[in-house]
Amino acid sequence: MKRTNVIVGSSLLTLLVGLGLGQSVLQKTAAAQSKAAVQAPRFEVDPMWPKPVPNHWVFGNIIGVGVDKNDHVYIIHRGAGSLEPKEVYATENPPASECCVPAPPVLEFDPAGNLVKAWGGPGAGFEWPDSNHGITPDSKGNLFIGGNGANDGHVLKFTREGKFVKQFGFAYANAGSNDMWAFRQVAKISLDEAANEAYVSDGYGNHRVAVMDMDTGKIKRYWGAYGNKPDDTNLGRYNPDAPLAQQFRNPVHCAEPSNDGMVYVCDRVNDRIQVFTKEGKFVKETQVAKMTLGDGAVWDIAFSKDAAQKYFYLADGANEKIHVFDRASLTELTSFGDGGRQPGQFYAVHSIATDSKGNVYTTETYRGQRLQKFVYKGLAPVTKPNQGTVWPTATR
Amino acid sequence: MKRNLYVGSTLLALIVGFGAAARILQQTAEAQGKGAVMAPRFEVDPMWPKPLPNGWYQGQTIGVGIDAQDHVWIIHRSDSLDASESAADEGTGTCCRRTPPILEFDQAGNLLRHWGGSDGPGYQWPASNHGLQIDAKGNVWIGGNGAGNDGHLLKFTQDGKFIMQVGIKRAGLGPDSLSNDRFYLVAKVSLDNKNNEAYVADGYGNRRVVVIDMDSGKFKRFWGAYGNKPDDAAGAALGRYAPGQGAQQQFRGPTHCAEPSNDGLIYVCDRTNDRLQVFTPQGKFVKEIFVMPDSLGDGSTWDVAFSKDAAQKYMYLADGRNQKVHIYDRQSLTELTSFGEGGHYPGQFYSMHSIATDSKGNLYTTETYQGRRVQKFVYKGLAPVTKKDQGTVWPTTGSR
Repeated sequence: MKRTNVIVGSSLLTLLVGLGLGQSVLQKTAAAQSKAAVQAPRFEVDPMWPKPVPNHWVFGNIIGVGVDKNDHVYIIHRGAGSLEPKEVYATENPPASECCVPAPPVLEFDPAGNLVKAWGGPGAGFEWPDSNHGITPDSKGNLFIGGNGANDGHVLKFTREGKFVKQFGFAYANAGSNDMWAFRQVAKISLDEAANEAYVSDGYGNHRVAVMDMDTGKIKRYWGAYGNKPDDTNLGRYNPDAPLAQQFRNPVHCAEPSNDGMVYVCDRVNDRIQVFTKEGKFVKETQVAKMTLGDGAVWDIAFSKDAAQKYFYLADGANEKIHVFDRASLTELTSFGDGGRQPGQFYAVHSIATDSKGNVYTTETYRGQRLQKFVYKGLAPVTKPNQGTVWPTATR
Repeated sequence: MKRNLYVGSTLLALIVGFGAAARILQQTAEAQGKGAVMAPRFEVDPMWPKPLPNGWYQGQTIGVGIDAQDHVWIIHRSDSLDASESAADEGTGTCCRRTPPILEFDQAGNLLRHWGGSDGPGYQWPASNHGLQIDAKGNVWIGGNGAGNDGHLLKFTQDGKFIMQVGIKRAGLGPDSLSNDRFYLVAKVSLDNKNNEAYVADGYGNRRVVVIDMDSGKFKRFWGAYGNKPDDAAGAALGRYAPGQGAQQQFRGPTHCAEPSNDGLIYVCDRTNDRLQVFTPQGKFVKEIFVMPDSLGDGSTWDVAFSKDAAQKYMYLADGRNQKVHIYDRQSLTELTSFGEGGHYPGQFYSMHSIATDSKGNLYTTETYQGRRVQKFVYKGLAPVTKKDQGTVWPTTGSR
């Protein structure tokens, strides 16, 4: 009874928004319907996306996801090095079982979940990372890849078919946080195409955001926490009771430019997001699940697909959930997800991206090893701060 | 075209239901599928069971049994969680918590009773609980394979009230496949309710099948491979399995299942020998098959369950090495088809360990190591076999 009303109501809301009615009408409708309940995007996992891959391929730690303008979904995973011997028996000589072999590190899926292409690994003219990490498509059909292996100091650019385009920085650079030529264990590259600039989360070794030219790779500017000059002094372990650190801890795990000229940085084990101008001036910050120790709570973010990017989704691979935030106020509205191996559950949810329809894609590292799709179901009144596992409702 | 097959298989199921002769079944199948072999068809239910409450997190799941109400009971290793899976217990995050090892689910996938994990008056909880079956009275039987410790099995009521311990748990325990009062590292206890006898797959340490009285626990008989007298020294001397070694006269182990059929045969999983041996209840060797005998390491024959028709026409064999369920014609021990694939998505497996059927013919599997799931495969009737290996069996379009 209640559920039906809510769903009908949220469809109506979507319609009203679609018809371009003002914010005040929206607010009144929502208030009338659910006694002033807050509205937030609602999602349901699609337990059968993507489709099974061929050739007895299995995924290792999946540590990057990106969506291109055609809503094709790219992932990057750590192959053999991140798979247990029992998962890759078929690679032994002679094969010790029929199952399985690592899939190539880069995989492209179409919106229906079909595998389009799989490629990656060492080649001529470039240094494939020891431990590839993060994948981001641009609008011209290129992909940017980082790496967080001990010796990885670079970023690679390929066409989506896997043709090498350019390498920025170089392996064994061992560059510090004030280096102008190379990086140190890059987590992710995010793009401001209007300005032709790439924001490099640098990273697992360095303690900065570096902005480079998307074509030449020249580092244009960089900064540390609060816009401070980055410093590579080891801060030791995060302590939730200590004053907030004046430097990023490793890893700096995302640096996402928004449409309105802000840059959102994931300071993972400090359990915080810091927001900057594009020039690196500190604007504001918020902590997320600040009692989280170890791996930290702030792994990756993606913005909602409306022009205003009203919401953002924060992947929290320690507490195994996606936090849904109101972007302007940095207020958490609700969250979904839980730990586990079933659909819609996570083991170390690592990366997150949205497609043009507002659907969310997540990947899991460590022993999670999945790419999952969460279907956007429109706005709905928030009834719980934590929704747990979000399984499809209407179809069952 | 495809749809016709399903309509046809429903029709077939109906015909069988009305008791028509097997000959008609065969003729229909041939007419329809041009001589195609028929076999049970399954589809995974990606949303069964429901998520656990209380932030609970399931570990290596190493046993499954079905009771008379078709409730599904599993046993898992709650101490197998790593620090990031038990962060709420560790105080480092909100996900998640260790869960009692024995969990009961109803047909809708709701969690009901949950218990176990520690010693109680008169009994010792295994160092590493392993295997679970339910007898006709509803009692729960479990073993344990904690090396150097577990030489026993336990019997409880469904509420977790202790009934009986057979054998002992003691630090420093080792193999003794000739013992008449204890086991070593029991994998599974299967039940012949009619004769009040339990078949103990003994196990990870010993190299035998032991038959005990279900009430007294008294040892009645035991045997090794081919019905030979078990010999721990000869067994240990086998070393590693290599394909084409010929007939090994001892179980290489683990002796991982010993399943009595309705027609009085015992099916024994000799896991790392990649073979299934069939015996009479007295331990006389009848026949054997090898399953994907090129499989090395932890072997291909992990567990078996029978189809739920009275004749138990089909047998389902869990192969946690090649990550598939092999479907056999039980009489001829001919493999008809298989399904499953390695992976973490619904219907895929990482080290599928245990298997059971309910009264409707649905299959349940559990996964150990980093698989850590119980999965349900819905029985869809008989269907012509079109592929030897069906891969991942997702629900077909109609149901979505």
